[in-house]
Amino acid sequence: MKRPHWLTIAAAGTLLTAMVTALMVPPERVQGDLARVLFVHVPSAWLAYLSFGVTLLGSAMYLIKQDLKWDRLAGASAEVGVFFTGLTLALGMIWGKPTWGVWWTWDARLVLTAVMFFVYLGYLALRRGIDDPVDRAKRSAWLGILGVVQIPLVHFSVLWWRTLHQPPTLLRPDGMQMDAPFRGALFMALFAFTMVYAALVRAHIANAKDEVRLAELIASEEVEVAGAAITAPTLGEVD
Amino acid sequence: MTGFWRQAMAITRKDLRTEVRSGEVLFITVPFGAAALMLIPLAVGVDAPLLQKIGPGMYWSIVLLFGVLVTVRQSATDGPSQRDLLSLLGIDPAARFAGRAMASIALLFTFEAVLAPVALALYGTDPAGWWWLLAVVPLVAIGLGLLGTLASTIASSISSATLVPLIVVPLAVPMLLAATQITEGLRIDATILGWILLLVIMDLLLAVAGVISARPLQEATR
Amino acid sequence: MPGPVVHLQGIGVRIGDTPILRNLDLLVGPGEAVGLIGSNGSGKTTLLRVIATLLRPTSGVGRVLGASLVDDERYDVRRRIGLIGHQPGLYPNLTLEENISFVARVIGEGQSVVGRVLEQVGLGAARHRTASACSHGMQRRAEFARVMITKPDLLLLDEAHAGLDPQAGELVAHLAAGARARGGAAVVVSHEHARIAPLVDRFVELRSGGASDAEATL
Repeated sequence: MKRPHWLTIAAAGTLLTAMVTALMVPPERVQGDLARVLFVHVPSAWLAYLSFGVTLLGSAMYLIKQDLKWDRLAGASAEVGVFFTGLTLALGMIWGKPTWGVWWTWDARLVLTAVMFFVYLGYLALRRGIDDPVDRAKRSAWLGILGVVQIPLVHFSVLWWRTLHQPPTLLRPDGMQMDAPFRGALFMALFAFTMVYAALVRAHIANAKDEVRLAELIASEEVEVAGAAITAPTLGEVD
Repeated sequence: MTGFWRQAMAITRKDLRTEVRSGEVLFITVPFGAAALMLIPLAVGVDAPLLQKIGPGMYWSIVLLFGVLVTVRQSATDGPSQRDLLSLLGIDPAARFAGRAMASIALLFTFEAVLAPVALALYGTDPAGWWWLLAVVPLVAIGLGLLGTLASTIASSISSATLVPLIVVPLAVPMLLAATQITEGLRIDATILGWILLLVIMDLLLAVAGVISARPLQEATR
Repeated sequence: MPGPVVHLQGIGVRIGDTPILRNLDLLVGPGEAVGLIGSNGSGKTTLLRVIATLLRPTSGVGRVLGASLVDDERYDVRRRIGLIGHQPGLYPNLTLEENISFVARVIGEGQSVVGRVLEQVGLGAARHRTASACSHGMQRRAEFARVMITKPDLLLLDEAHAGLDPQAGELVAHLAAGARARGGAAVVVSHEHARIAPLVDRFVELRSGGASDAEATL
């Protein structure tokens, strides 16, 4: 068996530490144990945005450099991103039910995340639909850019439409009055999730590279040209 | 007329003529949209004040969802031999995009225009400030036409047309919000200029994106 | 016209993992007409699409009408290439006249030529029929009318003879002669050796993805 990559081991290690820390910190003053959902929800949301950004970067770099490694980065990041965007939505709903009393509320950040989720699904569906690697890279790069460029417009319009959500809790000085240990654990979780993201993207890219290598290996063998598959009809020799 | 516009207009003309002959938009998509407008009151129950309130929102949702079908209609999709023909006629890819988008925009405008009285009649909505809608309806047609054409160009190497709506609908959220907020703003006399500006920005952005991506996308499969 | 019309060196085409053409050389000079023959699946159509700049070769170098097949300059010579392929390059819902008039409009020709070329190919009476209502042979003739308007310097015919009556066959000869007279060239694909023999100067045979000169049966 192949030895796991150092990044995988490091990600697993930090994630474990973050989990233990998250379970050990005292419950939050107002929301109690429920606030622990934030240790997953906040880092997932961060990753959703991060992977969108990386997909944009990979798409733009592919169009500039025409090197498929950038396309693999864009694709891998979107695959990891769609998972974390979904997780963000699911956990947001789980947290929202006891906090706001409803599973879903039409606030700006929630709607934006849901839109991002669908944009990701469309992007991945496009990738799945095209077999030729170069064709796929070109088309998905344009969609990757279009999707991300539209996001500020979506964000802006949704924000304008309505805002209910509490403003960001971490960066606001008079925020949720998070205790120092709680805040520390949250940063730990953010760090661990970012490591997990890096490890997953790396693994996806490694997979994609293996597929390319396999295809090249098949191609490098002396394969008969397509026309050779057709032979002269052998009339009269049928049993 | 420069070569670009001459080519674009030739494409538009050809697309519209094909469409008039096949009648896909006028005789299929428009009735389908009207039927959808009729389904909603049946589903939510006949409550006149409620219907009056949700009418504009339903109208714009149907325009968005069914409008995508206008942009992926048969006459807007080329077979391989037509693609070869257009390439070897030396048509500027941006002109091809512009021509196709203009045909879609004209058809979307018709679609919106036919559906509007249907919505007014079925939902009993008060058409307050309707002259403003004369600006909004074309702006939405332009945005949706450009977005749909761009999405179908991106997805053109996939034979199934079902992917295009999934790409278009999330990205069209600002358009839906702008259109509904403008309609609502007119009713309660609120300021709507910001939303109009948003529609204009979106239309411009999509036009630029469509033009710069035209060559690489149309040549991508080769 | 200086230099060869078509010059391919070591061209290879792969679609997915399948090689279609391998290490193929071809030289077609100005004023020349070449017949391309080979069995089913030998890559004739693929080669024609490469020459038409519609398919980018995966290996090798090539120039058509002076433009490299892999650079953007190939877009500039497309207008000078005429291709009549397997599938008719017509819009099925448009009439023959509308189809040809679309072509004229795109390339900036006046509409007066439309009626004239349709008469020339013998479709004057059928001009208001939609392409889908026309027989295969009529659709082919409509494509000949198109080529009469675009006047290509390089004419590529892919089994253009299939299912045509003798008069239509003469049209093909007329078009090929036109391209040659302009200092261009014609490449004619067919598996009916005898049918195209009067049209071409020599034959090239495609065999297992490569080309070799075939004995001309002139």
